[in-house]
Amino acid sequence: MVDASETHLKLDPDAVGRQDADSLLRAIQSDIRYREVVHGCLNCGVCSGSCPSHRFFDYSPRVVVQTVLAGDAEAVKAMMDEYIWACAQCYTCAMRCPLHNSPGGLVMIMREVAVWRGMEAVHRLLKPYGRVLLKVLSIGNQLTPDMIQPDFFPDWGPKIPWSSTDLALKRKAIPVYTLQVTSSAWRVSPETSYELYTIYEETGVFRLIEQIDPNLFEVVSDMVEEVRELVEAGRDD
Amino acid sequence: MSTPLKTTGWDFVTTTVDKRALQRQPPADPRVELRELEARGEVKIIPITADNRPIEVETLLGRTKRIPTNKLWHHKSCGQCGNIPGYPTSIMWLMNRLGLEYLDESHQTSCTAWNYHGSGTSNLVALAAVAVRNWHRAYETGYYPLIHCGTSFGNYKEIRNLLVEHRELRDEVRRILNKVGRELVIPEEIVHYSEWLHVLRKPVAAMNRYDVSHIVATVHPACHVWKLIPEDVIYDRTIYGGERPAPTTAILLELGADVRDYSTWYDCCGFGFRHILTEREFSRSFSIERKIKVMVDEAQSDVAITQDTGCTTTLDKNQWIGQAHGYHYDLPVMADVQFAALLAGADPYKVVQLQWHTAGWEKLLDKIGIDWRTPKAEYERYLEELRAGKAPDQLYPPPVE
Ligand code: SF4
Ligand code: SF4
Repeated sequence: MVDASETHLKLDPDAVGRQDADSLLRAIQSDIRYREVVHGCLNCGVCSGSCPSHRFFDYSPRVVVQTVLAGDAEAVKAMMDEYIWACAQCYTCAMRCPLHNSPGGLVMIMREVAVWRGMEAVHRLLKPYGRVLLKVLSIGNQLTPDMIQPDFFPDWGPKIPWSSTDLALKRKAIPVYTLQVTSSAWRVSPETSYELYTIYEETGVFRLIEQIDPNLFEVVSDMVEEVRELVEAGRDD
Repeated sequence: MSTPLKTTGWDFVTTTVDKRALQRQPPADPRVELRELEARGEVKIIPITADNRPIEVETLLGRTKRIPTNKLWHHKSCGQCGNIPGYPTSIMWLMNRLGLEYLDESHQTSCTAWNYHGSGTSNLVALAAVAVRNWHRAYETGYYPLIHCGTSFGNYKEIRNLLVEHRELRDEVRRILNKVGRELVIPEEIVHYSEWLHVLRKPVAAMNRYDVSHIVATVHPACHVWKLIPEDVIYDRTIYGGERPAPTTAILLELGADVRDYSTWYDCCGFGFRHILTEREFSRSFSIERKIKVMVDEAQSDVAITQDTGCTTTLDKNQWIGQAHGYHYDLPVMADVQFAALLAGADPYKVVQLQWHTAGWEKLLDKIGIDWRTPKAEYERYLEELRAGKAPDQLYPPPVE
């Protein structure tokens, strides 16, 4: 168990690759939120009994909490590879736990550590996330109208092709000015993106992406540069 | 409610486990600590003023929460605006009908929390800085932030609490915000649009033109609205005996719908944040097996009513594929605010934008007695007019570019 003086707010993006089990467990337990999400465990299983992912996967929030509390670093590391990614982040467990634990919150800390240490599973898990990441990093939107394409969502049925044809026209027919766009969910001003880039820079998010997905970072960097030039030129005028 | 609450194991869990835990050790009220921080000059509170015409309600532990109803800054949802555009449109349309002032503009980012929950590619400081940047933008406009998305609402409640609790987080966020010329501000209350609709349910229901007493509605409450920071959620003794959150159910009752209970009310929708993109079979199976099937088979639901982004998408979009396994439920799915706007006479196409929804909603409108065929023909004509260069209709005058 780490003491309170060792807590941290965020991880160092330059520690990508540091994956020894003890340091991963230490990074989890020293997160500033750790003491709020784990207060001990009765092993009662109320969390797992309420858990949607427990119903469909080989996954149990009770086991996550117990394993972290037992301090078995190797077992925790093994869980970070695949097991914890089954959690649906619904927080039913957090509402139900008689000890006020938040197993879903613990999973989130573990996911963050897995990503910021560049664990192998992350590359596999993030692959389908490329489009979301590109949008969230460049304009701070996570889903945009042009992402809903039949190729990506063939299981959503025959109305999806309607949504994606003549998209600009159909978006123009929404009677809200900010929504009459296709490549962002709403019009995002360049000044807003500019401020967001400062936040990503100062919090290590850009550096993280550079480390774990250099190709994506290159695309994002070009967009960032373009927006910065635009905003700075406007300020000079 | 036309059916008694289901007496399943959940009753034990909700009355014995949830409340026992919270009531034995009620969490500190962050709003009290927030005022102390402001008194020490550490933060500025975005106040709810008389202009915001607040209405008081009770939350889970009996605390009072003030819900502003006027002069609101739309903190839009990317999933709603991108995929369910009739969601924000219905909110603004109702505000117009009620003569309320609001500001919708482009100086907003999303909360970025969907990506965080799904991929872990952010951190607490970034989430907090994004939240405060949006809050500060609302603050400088003089409008009070109204959060459209359930995940943004849950996330902002958490961020508010963490900012109040941790000086080092405040210091770091303040340092970053100063770099973009902004200050550390925290709203007096974090407010979700479903709370706004809840406190205005009487004037909204007064606009209802239809008898919907024969329409069976089942509610899907959004996890990030009521399971994240559950003590900051509205409960009302007259709704589910005060055992479950009141928003959404209360407006449906006020509108006169036949709201029915079902045994998996507490379950999530299957969205899963990453699952909707990367574990699709989970989202599909869960939404059909644990929600849609139960709503129809147990409650004979005519419509599933939601209060959040991901749930509306998951429950609506995943039904079609169920036909492969013989599930032909085709249950209409829409948000409480879309249903309320429809009943108040909003155009199903131009305003409520139901054409983007996947499950068949036309039969519901037929059952209510709302003509959708004429609006459909008008919408198709309108698209052609826009194609020919006509300027689009707007719910508010757009800024001059
Ligand atoms: S947050 Fe995760 S662990 Fe908790 S109940 Fe939901 S799916 Fe299960
Ligand atoms: S509900 Fe809480 S105490 Fe019970 S097993 Fe889960 S984490 Fe442990």
